[in-house]
Amino acid sequence: MALEFKLPDIGEGITEGEIVKWLVNTGDTVKEDQPLVEIMTDKVTAEIPSPTAGVVQECRGKEGDVVDVGAVIVVIETTTAGVVSEVATKEPTVAAPQSASKPQARCTSPGTSSVLSGSGAKMLAAPATRKLARELGINLTTVAGTGPRGRITPDDVRGFSSSRPTLASGPLSTPSTVQGQESEKRVPFIGMRRRIGEHLVKSKHTAPHFAYVEEVDMTELVSLRQQLKGDAEAQGVKLTYLPFIAKAVISGLKAFPGLNSSLDDAKGELVYKNHYHLGIAAATDEGLIVPVVKFADQKNLYALASEIQDLSLRARNGQLKPHDVTGGTFTLTSIGSIGGLFSVPIINHPEVGIMGINKIEKRAVVRNNTIVIRNMMYLSICCDHRVVDGSEAALFVKHVVEYLQQPARLLI
Amino acid sequence: MSSIHKPDVAIIGAGPGGYVAAIRLAQLGQKVLLVEQNKTMGGVCLNRGCIPSKALIYAGSLYEKMKHAGDMGILLSNEPTIDLPKMMDWKDGIVNKLTGGVAQLLKANGVQTLTGRAEFNGPHKLSVKTPNGNIEQVEAKSYLIATGSSPIDIPGFKRDGKVIIDSTDALSLQDVPKKLALIGGGVIGLELGILYAKLGTEVTVVEMMDQLLPGTDKDVVQVLTRSLKKRKIKVFTESKAQPVQVKGKTATLTIERPKGTEVIKDLDKVLVAVGRKPNSQSMGLEKAGVKVDDRGFIQVDHQLRTSVRHIFAIGDVTSAPLLAHKASKEGLVAAEVIAGNTHEVLDVRAMPSAVFTDPEIATVGLTEEQAKAEGYTLRIGTFPFAASGRAMSMNKTEGLVKMIVDGNTDQILGVHMIGPEVSELIAEVTLAIEMGATAEDIALTVHAHPTLPESIMEAAESVHGKAVHIYQKEKPPLVGAK
Ligand SMILES: Cc1cc2nc3c(=O)[nH]c(=O)nc-3n(C[C@H](O)[C@H](O)[C@H](O)COP(=O)(O)OP(=O)(O)OC[C@H]3O[C@@H](n4cnc5c(N)ncnc54)[C@H](O)[C@@H]3O)c2cc1C
Repeated sequence: MALEFKLPDIGEGITEGEIVKWLVNTGDTVKEDQPLVEIMTDKVTAEIPSPTAGVVQECRGKEGDVVDVGAVIVVIETTTAGVVSEVATKEPTVAAPQSASKPQARCTSPGTSSVLSGSGAKMLAAPATRKLARELGINLTTVAGTGPRGRITPDDVRGFSSSRPTLASGPLSTPSTVQGQESEKRVPFIGMRRRIGEHLVKSKHTAPHFAYVEEVDMTELVSLRQQLKGDAEAQGVKLTYLPFIAKAVISGLKAFPGLNSSLDDAKGELVYKNHYHLGIAAATDEGLIVPVVKFADQKNLYALASEIQDLSLRARNGQLKPHDVTGGTFTLTSIGSIGGLFSVPIINHPEVGIMGINKIEKRAVVRNNTIVIRNMMYLSICCDHRVVDGSEAALFVKHVVEYLQQPARLLI
Repeated sequence: MSSIHKPDVAIIGAGPGGYVAAIRLAQLGQKVLLVEQNKTMGGVCLNRGCIPSKALIYAGSLYEKMKHAGDMGILLSNEPTIDLPKMMDWKDGIVNKLTGGVAQLLKANGVQTLTGRAEFNGPHKLSVKTPNGNIEQVEAKSYLIATGSSPIDIPGFKRDGKVIIDSTDALSLQDVPKKLALIGGGVIGLELGILYAKLGTEVTVVEMMDQLLPGTDKDVVQVLTRSLKKRKIKVFTESKAQPVQVKGKTATLTIERPKGTEVIKDLDKVLVAVGRKPNSQSMGLEKAGVKVDDRGFIQVDHQLRTSVRHIFAIGDVTSAPLLAHKASKEGLVAAEVIAGNTHEVLDVRAMPSAVFTDPEIATVGLTEEQAKAEGYTLRIGTFPFAASGRAMSMNKTEGLVKMIVDGNTDQILGVHMIGPEVSELIAEVTLAIEMGATAEDIALTVHAHPTLPESIMEAAESVHGKAVHIYQKEKPPLVGAK
C-alpha cells in the first residue's frame, strides 16, 4: 500500500523546513531508516529517515522549497502488507550539510516554490499583506511586525524584502566568459546559507544594535589555566579559555537580568529568564551554527569545558540534534583564533545580547607608572537597545572583566 | 472521431468552481476549454441549488409576511393564495437569466465550451461524449476537475421523483404538498422544509443526530428549534426513519425514536436530504492516477493540486464545506497556480457559511467547542436581536449574535448568528477575522443607527461587559483552557 510520509515535527517550535537535498529518486527502493531527504530547519539540517521499507513513488517539492511540518513530502509504496496510516517518525539527526559540491538533479519536478505564509498560523497580517509576502517569497513568520499588537504591515514585508539578499530563482543565468574563463559562478542561495541570512536579517531588522568594547587583562587567567590544564587533561577534559569566560558571563547575567531576557513583540512583554542557556557559536564548513549549553549556571568548569568540546565536535560532524541548537538565552562568539582586534557580532535573535571573545596577546601596558607586558584581550558586546541601555551593558562587561582579572573567584 | 482539442487548460464542470476558474484563467491569458454535461452553465448552484432555492424562499417569506400584514394595518381585500406553477416560472426566469449571463461572460472572455460528459483515459488524455454520441478528444497541459457533488441515495428511500423526492425535485413541485416528511435535518433539507411549511405544508423532520444542523453552535440551534416549533414543524432528533412504504400517491413512514415509534400516514411527499457525495465516480480518475479518499473526495494540497501534478481539483468534489463560495475561491487560487503564479496558495482564515432558514443562520470561524479544543481561553459575548431597535422595527426579533474571542489577545475567533438578515451581516465579521481584528476594534467602530449590524457591535462590547442595550452586571468569564 502507499504510505504518505509527512514532514515530522523535528524540534520544539519548528513549523516548517526547507528541502535542501533529495537523497532518493522516484522509483528508488529504500530500506527502513534510510535517509530520504535533507531538511533545513532553523539553523540545522536534518536527514529525515524513511519510516518503512518500500519504493519511492513521489517526492513532493524541489530543492529550495519550504514545506510545512505535517505536509506530505514523500509517497512510498510499502513492501510490507498491511495498513500503516500513522507512522511513528524516527528522530532525525542534524547535519551541518556537506558543501554544495555537485548539485544533483533529483526529484526536481517543475513547479512550486510556494511559501506558505502561515496559512493556519496566527501571524497578524491582512490578506493582501499575506499575498504580498507570497509574491515576494517571504515567510511571514520571519518578519517583525511594526503595527499594533505586532501586526505585519505591507511596508514591513517590503522592507524585509529589500534588505534581503535576492535569491537566484528560475534557470541560472549563463555566466559570460572572460578570456575563456568564467567571469563569475552562480550558486543557488539556498539551504543553510539562506537560513542564516534570514535569521541575521531578522535580528538586524528587529533589534537596534549597539556595540561596546572593553579590554581585559587576562594574565592571571592565563596562569590559572596553565595550572589546571594538566589536571583537566588527566580527567580527559581539554580546558580552553571559553569555560572560564562562560562562568564569568553567567555571574554577570545573574547580576544584570536584563541581559538574560528577550522581548515578546507580539504581547509587548519583556521576558526575564531564570535559566541560563549559553549559546556557543561554532563555525562549520557550511556556516555558523550555535549549539547551546543548557543550564550552564549549574555546571562546574570541567563539565562546561567538556560539554562545549562535545557540542563543537558534533557541530562540525553534523551530529547535533534539534534540541542542541534551541533555547539559548545569551550567546558567546569567538574568532580570536583567527586574529583581529575585536568583532562586532549580530545578536542571535530573540536573545538581547551577544559577546565577542577575541584573541589574547601580549601587549605593553602601564601598571604603577611602569610599562609592563601583560596578556591582554578585547571583550566586545552587542545588545538590543530596546531592552538594554549602554550603561547597563557597560556595567555588565565591567562585572565580567573583574571576574576574569581575578579568576580565582570563578572557582568559588 | 473529430479533431483533438489542445487547450492550455481543460476544466470539467461549469459550476461556481469551474466557471469562475475558467474566467480567471482566460483573464490570465490561458486558452481554456470548459466541459459541462448539462446544457446550461452554472452547475448545481445556479440550476438546482443556491439560486432557485433562495428565489423560492424569498417568495415564501413574502407570502408569510402578506398573511401577517394586517398586524401592521395593511389590509388585503382577499387572503393571498399560492399559484405554485407561476412561482416556479418566475424562479426559472431568474435561473435562465443567470445561466445565460454566465454563458455570455464565458464567451466574452474567450473561453471555449464543450457540452458532454468527460472521462480521463490517462493522465494526459480526456475524452468527452457529446449528447449526440460523438466522442471528442482533449489533450490539455493542465486539467481542473470541478465536477461537484450530488445527493446521496439511501436504501429504502429510492427516489421516484413523485412521492420520494430529492432537493432538485423539491425546487420544481407544481402543487404545494399537504403533508411532507423530511429525512435529514441538514442545511438543504431545513431550508426547503421551512419554505413549504410557509406555503402551508405540514412538515415533519427526522434527524439521526441529537441536534439539527450537526456541528452548528448549540445556542444557535436552540433558537432555530424553538422557532420551528412555533411554526408547527415537528422535529424528531435521535430518530431513525424505517424504509418508506409508498402506496399509490401517498407514503407511510415509521420513525424509531429513543422511546417508542411514531407512524406518519398520508404523506404526499418524502424529501430525502441526507447529504451529498462527490462526483468522482466513473470518470476515469484511476486511469489518470488521481487519488480519492475513502469517501470519494479528491485529495488536494494547499494549491488544489491532486496527486498528479498537472491535475487540479476544486469545489464540492474535494471536500466539505459544500459551499458555492468555497468552490469559487478554490477556483481562483487554482487558476493562479495553473497560470504560473506558483506562489499562490489557499490562504483562507475565515470561510463564512449562510443558511437560509427562517430565522437565517450565519457562521464564520471557530465554534466555542472548536476553540476550546484548540486550547484557547475564551471570552464569549452575546447580544439578542430582541434588544435591537432595527429588528423590532422589522418585526423579526428572534435570534442572537454570539462572538467568540481569544481571552488573551481579544482577537475574534468566530461569530455565530441566527436572526434577521444575518446572511448579510456575516460579511463584516468575516473581514474582521481575515484582518485579525479584535472585539475592541469592532466595538470602537461606529455602526449606523438603526441597523442590524449594531447588534454585532453590541456583541463585541458585551465581550468586555460593556454592552449598552442589555443589562450586564459584569464581564463574561474566561472559559476553556487555562
Ligand atoms: C438545494 C441546494 C441549495 C444550496 N444552497 C446553497 C447556498 O445557499 N449557498 C452555498 O454556498 N451553497 C449552496 N449549495 C451548495 C452549492 O450549490 C455547491 O456547493 C456548489 O454548487 C458547488 O460548486 P462546484 O463548482 O464544486 O460544483 P457543482 O455546482 O456541483 O457543478 C459541477 C458541474 O460539473 C458537471 N459535471 C460533473 N461531472 C461531469 C463530467 N464527468 N463531465 C462533465 N461535466 C460534469 C455537473 O453537471 C455540474 O454542472 C446548495 C446546494 C443545493 C443542492
